[in-house]
Amino acid sequence: MNINLITNSEVKDIAGDPGNFSVTLTNNPRFIDSGVCTGCGDCARNCPASAVNQINKGMNDQRATYIEYAQAVPLAYAIDKDACVGCGLCENVCMAKAIRYDDVERETEVTVGSVILSPGTKGFDPSGLDYLGYGKYPNVVTSEGFERILSAGGPYFGHVMRPLDREEPKSIAWLQCVGSRDTNRCGNGYCSSVCCMYAAKEAMIAKEHIHGDLDCAVFNMDMRTFGKDYEKYCLRARDREGIRFVEARVHTINEIQDTGDLSVRYADESGEMKEETFSMVVLSVGLTIPDTAVDLAKKLDIDLNKYNFAKTDPFAPVETSKPGIYTCGVFQGPKDIPGSVTEASAAACLAGSELAAARGQDIPEVVVPEEMDVAGQDARIGVFVCNCGINIGGVVDVPAVQQYAAELPGVVFTDANLFTCSQDTQEKMKEMITEHNLNRVVVASCSPKTHEPMFMETLEACGLNKYLFEMANIRNQNSWIHSKSPDLATRKAKDLVRMAVARAGTLKPLSAKVIPVNQKALVIGGGVAGMNAALNLGKQDFEAVLIEKDTQLGGFSRNLHHTIEGGDVGAYVGTLADEVNGHARIEVLTGTTVTGFGGYKGNFKTEVAVGTTGEKRDIDHGVIIVATGAIEYQPKEYLYGEDDRVVTQVGLADRLEAQGAADLDTVVMIQCVGSRCEEMQECSRICCQNAVKNALHIKKLRPETQVFVLYRDIRTYGLLEDYYTEARDQGVIFMRYDADNPPVAKAASEGVLVTTRDHVLQQDVEICADLLTLSAGMRAADTADLSSIMKLNANQEGYFIEAHVKLRPVDMPGEGIFLCGTAHGPKLISETISQAQAAASRAVTFLARPEIKLSAITANVDTEYCVKCLTCVRTCPYDVPVFNTETKEIQIDEALCHGCGACAGVCPRQTIQLGFYEDDQIACKIDALLAGGM
Amino acid sequence: MIVAKRKPFEELKTMLKDYKKVLNVGCGTCVAVCLAGGEKEVAVLNAELEMARKLDDNPIELGAKTIERQCDMEYLEALDDLVGDYDAILSMACGVGIQFLAERFPDTPVFPGVDTSGMSANRAVGWYEERCRSCESCVLAWTGGICPVTMCAKGLYNGPCGGTNDGNCEISDDQPCAWFRIYERLAAQGRVDCIMDFHPIKDWNDTVPRTLIQPGYEKLTEPDEE
Repeated sequence: MNINLITNSEVKDIAGDPGNFSVTLTNNPRFIDSGVCTGCGDCARNCPASAVNQINKGMNDQRATYIEYAQAVPLAYAIDKDACVGCGLCENVCMAKAIRYDDVERETEVTVGSVILSPGTKGFDPSGLDYLGYGKYPNVVTSEGFERILSAGGPYFGHVMRPLDREEPKSIAWLQCVGSRDTNRCGNGYCSSVCCMYAAKEAMIAKEHIHGDLDCAVFNMDMRTFGKDYEKYCLRARDREGIRFVEARVHTINEIQDTGDLSVRYADESGEMKEETFSMVVLSVGLTIPDTAVDLAKKLDIDLNKYNFAKTDPFAPVETSKPGIYTCGVFQGPKDIPGSVTEASAAACLAGSELAAARGQDIPEVVVPEEMDVAGQDARIGVFVCNCGINIGGVVDVPAVQQYAAELPGVVFTDANLFTCSQDTQEKMKEMITEHNLNRVVVASCSPKTHEPMFMETLEACGLNKYLFEMANIRNQNSWIHSKSPDLATRKAKDLVRMAVARAGTLKPLSAKVIPVNQKALVIGGGVAGMNAALNLGKQDFEAVLIEKDTQLGGFSRNLHHTIEGGDVGAYVGTLADEVNGHARIEVLTGTTVTGFGGYKGNFKTEVAVGTTGEKRDIDHGVIIVATGAIEYQPKEYLYGEDDRVVTQVGLADRLEAQGAADLDTVVMIQCVGSRCEEMQECSRICCQNAVKNALHIKKLRPETQVFVLYRDIRTYGLLEDYYTEARDQGVIFMRYDADNPPVAKAASEGVLVTTRDHVLQQDVEICADLLTLSAGMRAADTADLSSIMKLNANQEGYFIEAHVKLRPVDMPGEGIFLCGTAHGPKLISETISQAQAAASRAVTFLARPEIKLSAITANVDTEYCVKCLTCVRTCPYDVPVFNTETKEIQIDEALCHGCGACAGVCPRQTIQLGFYEDDQIACKIDALLAGGM
Repeated sequence: MIVAKRKPFEELKTMLKDYKKVLNVGCGTCVAVCLAGGEKEVAVLNAELEMARKLDDNPIELGAKTIERQCDMEYLEALDDLVGDYDAILSMACGVGIQFLAERFPDTPVFPGVDTSGMSANRAVGWYEERCRSCESCVLAWTGGICPVTMCAKGLYNGPCGGTNDGNCEISDDQPCAWFRIYERLAAQGRVDCIMDFHPIKDWNDTVPRTLIQPGYEKLTEPDEE
């Protein structure tokens, strides 16, 4: 309700200042009124003009009246004027009267306080790289095209086929770094960050979709699976699914004439030429910034870097060069979905901070009439049957269904509508409810998933409890799939309506409990993440208590000096800590640990022990932000701790700051120490850039120092790739080693002797190092006590688990609990800052409301018959049912219950009922179905 | 807790094939907790029987009633007015409850709905492990809290036998040797001397039905003279 979605429009200009921007928009014509269009699709079915399907990368056609894909928002059609022949057929068939041939480009203006630029990305177009044969050989597709081939909504409906002959491929090659990490051919020096992972994923899905054997090979320079749990996925792809990861860059692709197969030539690691044949080749194209975004940035005078990504500061990752204008997603830098979602929340946080004073002002208030009491009344059911244009009416005999419904017990009113979901029908429905004194409503139309909330609102608007509503899906589950058997479809529609009416009669009004929200946050951990989270809450005028177990703020960042971009970490953390300490809305408790915990979303109570005395104190708060951080792994390998010439990267940075590099002739770095190994399968994400950063620092201090980096895959993702290139330009030598044959270090008087296998020379090489630096991985802080007190779930690496890896990356599974920083997984300072801002933003969505309405769909236990067998306690995925040791009863807290119904299903005494889905309310539908004598 | 599992469906169907009206009586205590005979299982079984009999063209009318416990006459009383309407009773209780029900309604055929398997502990939802055979002469004091009657395949009192095999029983590698574990636990507690003496075997001759009267309840519970 507080989001105004304006699609098919472009920003023409932005004038004004932060807090008061005036934005001029160009609204492009759509030729179909999206407010009136019901998405029924009759126009497209009747359209005679075909157009190339751009979403499916030209692999199939669509009509000139089209919807881009099934999940498009808004779900409304448009006319492609370039393809339209102007026949007028769509206007004739559209029963909703939504066609507007005379639609024109318009200009509108909106006034806003902040602006967020998220123009997204465009896959690199490989047509210009002729050695790849894209556009010339049909069986060479881009990864975007292959995504569509895998998709059920794609050109081949999810069957994996190659474009040339629609045959199932026997082998597929993925070519990585097409349009990325390539200054030579396309000028894109950066790494696109996501391609390694999506190639592994596409290979996995392709194997899943193809019934026989499929050989998958991913040709790469380095596999960059650096995200949380990504390494494990990649290992599964390699070891369990047999996907081959070949370290090579393919230089030529040729089509084999008769078969359409593709011959791929490359040099393997030892330099030997190889040739392999594949049925299909997928080009893993990189992420680029679309020209329109570049134009927009220029128009707004926003600084871009040389690759056209928005320029941002490492300590202000989502702020553009222009105050009041923020950015997120790939426009900020190449990144994956979790990173984009996180940044989106971060940008919302900053955009909201500036407008905090005006919060809630422009939101329209909805007045709901007082609810009527229907208790004790006999059911007076109204049934509204929908034609959905011809979607239902073209197959099902709607008048017959309506007539049938009128005779069902309890039904006092029936109606049939062209589009039950249209605005005017909603108004009519309200009149009928009032006029006929209806106390239950059944709509026989489409999916409750999309339309139930809207109909429920209609009920509420007439003072009827929204849970007195039931839907029968006679479109998706009937007319669409039985379109060839209209008689049977009509019978089935009657069955579905009879079932819905039976259920409607059993429905009871439910009231959602409203609980107050304590508008205060508890932030656990006073590092960069925790401080940023607390500060951003403070800036939005919410109170926060920041607890830190150490005696001072800063966390692990106090051990760091500079970011790879040159940002001064010490200065940043110092200023940040001062700002946090000085903020009126933030209370900082150092030397403090959590000792007790209770409550639920909006109303938590945490007991802490403060300071050296350990004095106990209770904190009441509405949300929690977990920011407990991580530490550097203390290696047991390579003489660490035995020989003081062996240091970690953090130790090296300290040394370079304190002593410089004047006495260092040779430095050797070993990557993946304590990461990607048996003890810790995951990649620590930050160590490659750390090694590059320190190597560059050495080269700057003393260019003649020899620096060797022994690595497995260099993972300088995104814009970090430029530093890797620079390091090589400066003479840093990178040597790959094999995980099965890692380097060996031996102490000698002249230095640390490091022996490693050179894969080009195929022989062992010994390097005498003045200093051996270990890229020790990151390890989650020890949070065993905290996790057990607060019941927070961590993965096997000790990092906390988010509610959804991609879609809810800073929410924890428990409501009102958020997560940020390295407590979530290894990450850089800039990523930590944006994640902390995101966590604050998500917390604000909760804190901004003085009270929350709980769901009425929760489980209730009848304690009289309960045998306390604990089956519910053991079954609930959210650990909600508990045995209350005082009342000696099983207790299900409605504030915590997710309403999944698992407990209700397993209860051996049937003493648990789920509101709106009570046993009778479900069973009666089956009875009604069977009573009809199928 | 007493645990049981539902009898195979075909067996139940055969058992009831000649009856048209059957009352299915659930038990709300042990068998409810072990997911074999509470309200839910009664409802599930009734639905299955009803469908199967309909398909066989031999419809059946089923009643459902779950009482607190079938091993207490007071609770069985609730069935007195119901039973007359039925040709037979199916009991979902343990063997104790089934017999008590049959005793209460001697004129009506009573059938078992479950197979009672013993006394077990609840490991996880639906997972029960037997721990006691109710031998009436507990030896857990000197066996380190591990019952050789239940846990040893041979019920030995002076084990282990020659079949102990790297800590497991010869009957299966998944079955730990009770006596190996008894020794390990006692050794850890410094109490190996507990099993150094010979212990006479239990007298299994005495297998008549046992009656238990808790001390102090002798008078109160004395059954009425008939």
